Amino acid sequence: MGGTKYANAVAAVKAMENFLLTRSDLDQLISAATAAEMESLISARRCSGNEELTLEGVWEMIRGYAPDCVELKILLYKNDFHDLKAVLKSMLSGHDPKSCCIRPTNLDLDLLVKAFSSKEFDLLPDYISSTAEQAYELITRTLDGQLADSLIDSACMSAMQKAAEESGSSFMVNYARLITACADIKTAYRCAKMKKQRSFLETAVCGSPELDKESLIRAALGGPDSVLALLETTSFDEGGKLLSQSPAAFEKWCDDMIMELAQTARMQAFGAEPLAAYYLAAEAELKNLRMIRVCRESGTDRETITERMRKLYV
Amino acid sequence: MTNMGIVLAILGAALAALLAGIGSAKGVGLVGEAAAGVVSVDPSKFSKVLILQLLPGTQGLYGLLTAILMLSRIGVIGGNAAELTTAQGWEFFIAALPIAIVGLISAIFQGRTAAAGVGITAKKPEHNGKGIIMAAMVETYAILALLVSILLIYNIEV
Repeated sequence: MGGTKYANAVAAVKAMENFLLTRSDLDQLISAATAAEMESLISARRCSGNEELTLEGVWEMIRGYAPDCVELKILLYKNDFHDLKAVLKSMLSGHDPKSCCIRPTNLDLDLLVKAFSSKEFDLLPDYISSTAEQAYELITRTLDGQLADSLIDSACMSAMQKAAEESGSSFMVNYARLITACADIKTAYRCAKMKKQRSFLETAVCGSPELDKESLIRAALGGPDSVLALLETTSFDEGGKLLSQSPAAFEKWCDDMIMELAQTARMQAFGAEPLAAYYLAAEAELKNLRMIRVCRESGTDRETITERMRKLYV
Repeated sequence: MTNMGIVLAILGAALAALLAGIGSAKGVGLVGEAAAGVVSVDPSKFSKVLILQLLPGTQGLYGLLTAILMLSRIGVIGGNAAELTTAQGWEFFIAALPIAIVGLISAIFQGRTAAAGVGITAKKPEHNGKGIIMAAMVETYAILALLVSILLIYNIEV
């Protein structure tokens, strides 16, 4: 008779789903004559009429309703590791890290800066401390920023998969594996095009049960066609075909796959899954809005903008 | 051991009120959590989610009704307690079990269904009635259990 966790949070999130943009809203935004008209359309859809949707706001709201939900932290691992890269490079180049960091994260930026400046990596949480130390050691020894980035990205995927498995949530496990597989495919394909060595690939590719690390490395060493041939034998066949056409199409396919996964949690009345799904929905919506704004500014035609729109949650 | 009969009968009455009441408290509490979540975002839905919250509360009332009927039958309420044999005491105790056990379990499950119904109200308020009907279906089994308990209570010879 268990399994009724976060009833309050899930109900609140379901009420807020009414304020998310729908496909017809996006079409209206794309067709809006001016940027001002577009912004007024967005405001009209929001809760209370004029609240701006930000990922940080969504995160604070979800955490406010479910402060003890540890599974949700996995969603921010990408941001945590991004900030790790930003702080590492900013400190080495003497820039202010705040300008390159993103929010929301699980990590306090000042703590991250302190860990690097004092070389006390133990100050950081377990899932990131060893990566921070390795990345620092690697970049100071080799001065290879790309290799350090690859190390951090790969460690991020590993940390996500490990945390998801520890959480026992099949939704989070599937999310972590999907994110990992998509990142690995992009890395392997790009490395294959750039004819990267095995040593680089071993650092950059993370691996997941869906896409074995060794198979992917071997395929990448064989060239881009070899990567696509490998994907044909997996559930990422469709993504592989799109990747051969354009990396942007593959990116969209990955985002749509994540949204399809999020939609599996939409019917649930309890648990962390609908909360995670709402966060992913807000992420997709903000990505779409950003794309519409940028494309409108650059004069991209409406058909192209429509093609680029990611799948929505509602 | 001469008072064993009345002790068993009173224990049965207490269990009916206690277990069904616990179930209702859990059910109503769960729906209340969900309802509060919706109202915190959209206060205009208060009246709609309140109906859903009330549904799992009925089992507690059925338990109370059973307990009162039993206490009345054995004369405890009138202040003239009947002399019951141990066998009669067991009969009253067993008569209380249907509403005690079914009340406990059905109230918790009705709470879950009603909490899910709160989700329907949150997203599609016009379909609120469907959520109420789904939750009310669980009530059937609590009513059947109440009926069995009442039939048993009134068919025990005192």
